[in-house]
Amino acid sequence: MAVTSIDPYITLGVSPDSSADEIKAAYRRVARRLHPDANPNNPGAAVQFQDVTVAYELLIDADRRRAYDHQIARQRPDEGLNFSLRVTPSKRAVVPLPEPQVIYLLAEILPDPRARNQDQKRETRLNLTLVLDHSNSMNGTRLDKVKVAAHEIVNQLSEGDILSVVSFNDRAEVIIPATPVQNKQALKAKISMMIASGGTEIFKGLSAGVEQNRRFLGPKLVNHVVLLTDGNTFGDHENCIELARKSAEQGISISAMGLGQEWNDEFLDQLASVTGGTSSYINSASAVVSFLNNHVRNLSNAFAERVRLSVAPDPDVKLESAFKLSPHPQPLTVDDGYIQLGSLQANRNISVLLQFQLPANMALGFRSVARLVSTGDVLANQNQHFQSLSDISLEVNDNPPPEDPPVAILDALGKLTLYRMQERAQEALASGDIREATRRLENLATRLLAMGEEDLANQARSEARRVAHTSNLSDAGRKTLKYQTRFLLLGPSNEDVS
Amino acid sequence: MVTCPYCGSKNLEGMLFCEECGQSLTGGSGSAVLPTKQLDQSSNDLAAKATWGTARFGQDASVIIHIRDASQPVIIQPAKRTILGRTDATSPQKPDVDLTPFGALDKGVSRIHAAIYRNEDTLTLVDMGSANGTHLNGQRLVPDQPRILRDGDEIRLGKLVAHIYFK
Repeated sequence: MAVTSIDPYITLGVSPDSSADEIKAAYRRVARRLHPDANPNNPGAAVQFQDVTVAYELLIDADRRRAYDHQIARQRPDEGLNFSLRVTPSKRAVVPLPEPQVIYLLAEILPDPRARNQDQKRETRLNLTLVLDHSNSMNGTRLDKVKVAAHEIVNQLSEGDILSVVSFNDRAEVIIPATPVQNKQALKAKISMMIASGGTEIFKGLSAGVEQNRRFLGPKLVNHVVLLTDGNTFGDHENCIELARKSAEQGISISAMGLGQEWNDEFLDQLASVTGGTSSYINSASAVVSFLNNHVRNLSNAFAERVRLSVAPDPDVKLESAFKLSPHPQPLTVDDGYIQLGSLQANRNISVLLQFQLPANMALGFRSVARLVSTGDVLANQNQHFQSLSDISLEVNDNPPPEDPPVAILDALGKLTLYRMQERAQEALASGDIREATRRLENLATRLLAMGEEDLANQARSEARRVAHTSNLSDAGRKTLKYQTRFLLLGPSNEDVS
Repeated sequence: MVTCPYCGSKNLEGMLFCEECGQSLTGGSGSAVLPTKQLDQSSNDLAAKATWGTARFGQDASVIIHIRDASQPVIIQPAKRTILGRTDATSPQKPDVDLTPFGALDKGVSRIHAAIYRNEDTLTLVDMGSANGTHLNGQRLVPDQPRILRDGDEIRLGKLVAHIYFK
């Protein structure tokens, strides 16, 4: 990536007219916090340290700095829609304690309000690949619905969009090689020819799909692979995740949809989350059509692609977990140094809830907690790469003024806690602690009931009983609890840009 | 450490919801949630015998709930579903019949304890997964499984005993 694709002044936090000494001082200040020696287990800091160093090297070299300034000055000043990063902490002041404590940050990435008008939207072009499972288990209604769904998608695509379709069982077959959409009838006819047979080997399908997608891979496009499967794959999980990581590097995101009960949810979650895609549970064949339709509509509404968030906590602060609340609730992997968030839609925020652990015995006064940088490619811009940075600090005070946690955090966390509870119940079950698992499911049922989620509460309760008797959750119940508690996060408050 | 007022488990300072039971930790001491008391099993001597009154419940009939030791009966016109339980400051869902004035907390009544469903011309009683169970004429109900209510039946929610009459 070209050096000029990020704004070195923003990265270093200096103004464009600052002197070389000021730049040096700013670099020293930031670098001390982010230096790998001070942050041995902090991949986020390592990523940001590199960016900061690149920015510094550019600005401290008088010739290069002049060239950069010149180049920027030549750009049209009105050019460029951008997005912004807004971070809200659960507290602005904390009491120092002899034990660790927790703080939450709600990070929201907001699209440019100007992007909401209609003409902006049609600039988005899709490079879409469907990877469809046609193993034996898909026989009958399932495969029929998948075909209907694929037809609908073909109808929905505009000229200029690129489509490829790969079907797989224990081998992969390219049904439609990547091609700009023209003759829709011919494309649909090819999709109709699929018949169910064979086993399920996801890696074969996925790699053929990614290969098709790569043919048209481009910065101006939404490059996306949809994997739809109803089965478990054996022995190729690692390969799939590795492939997903590589795809993400190249700017391809993958969404995984599991149909029915037999698929491996942890695997599909991970597969999607390393690329910034989404993973979903479709419990009935008839839901496939509307589901895929919505999914593709959201894709074509993209404002920015390849959105990432890098989180560098201070050396004594620990990032414990990250969860995407909106637009699609999803647990996130934090160990790569940055979090892939996929595409930012023109009319919807991306919001991520981060949980940090602050150290014991903090000194009084103001202190920084973490440095957050979000980057992404704004599709409508000439110079697409854009970043937004936020440095979070809080006050350590023996006697902080009373404050209520922000409603947005409380609201999200209340629901997220339910999701965590079912997760913990499953952990207990996996480690063989039946009593603990039963108790947690019962607690979950009580909370769900109190929130008015009656059906889900009943499901939790009947799963609690099942666990007590058979030491096992039903496959359907487990997935329903997991994805429905996650789905609770999609409350009306997250529906639109706030 | 913050101690959850609901289940008593320890959470790190700064947590907003209890990791164990999911209750809010920010309610402040004033609105502490009281957990449903767990009763020991010796309360079984409260059992009663069946009376076999009529199960027919007419269109305009109402239900009279005589709670033991209470001076006034509770009279309700059952809707499609009537929830029996107790209110509490933090739980957003309120029962239709609040048993708090009758010592519900001490007697181990859950917030959402049981429900009376109205069918064509009968009523059924369903335990909503309560902590201390619902008994109908001395028999403990299996949660979520409806049982027909008859005129004169004795129900017991936790330790709270009541008689049901149709009128």
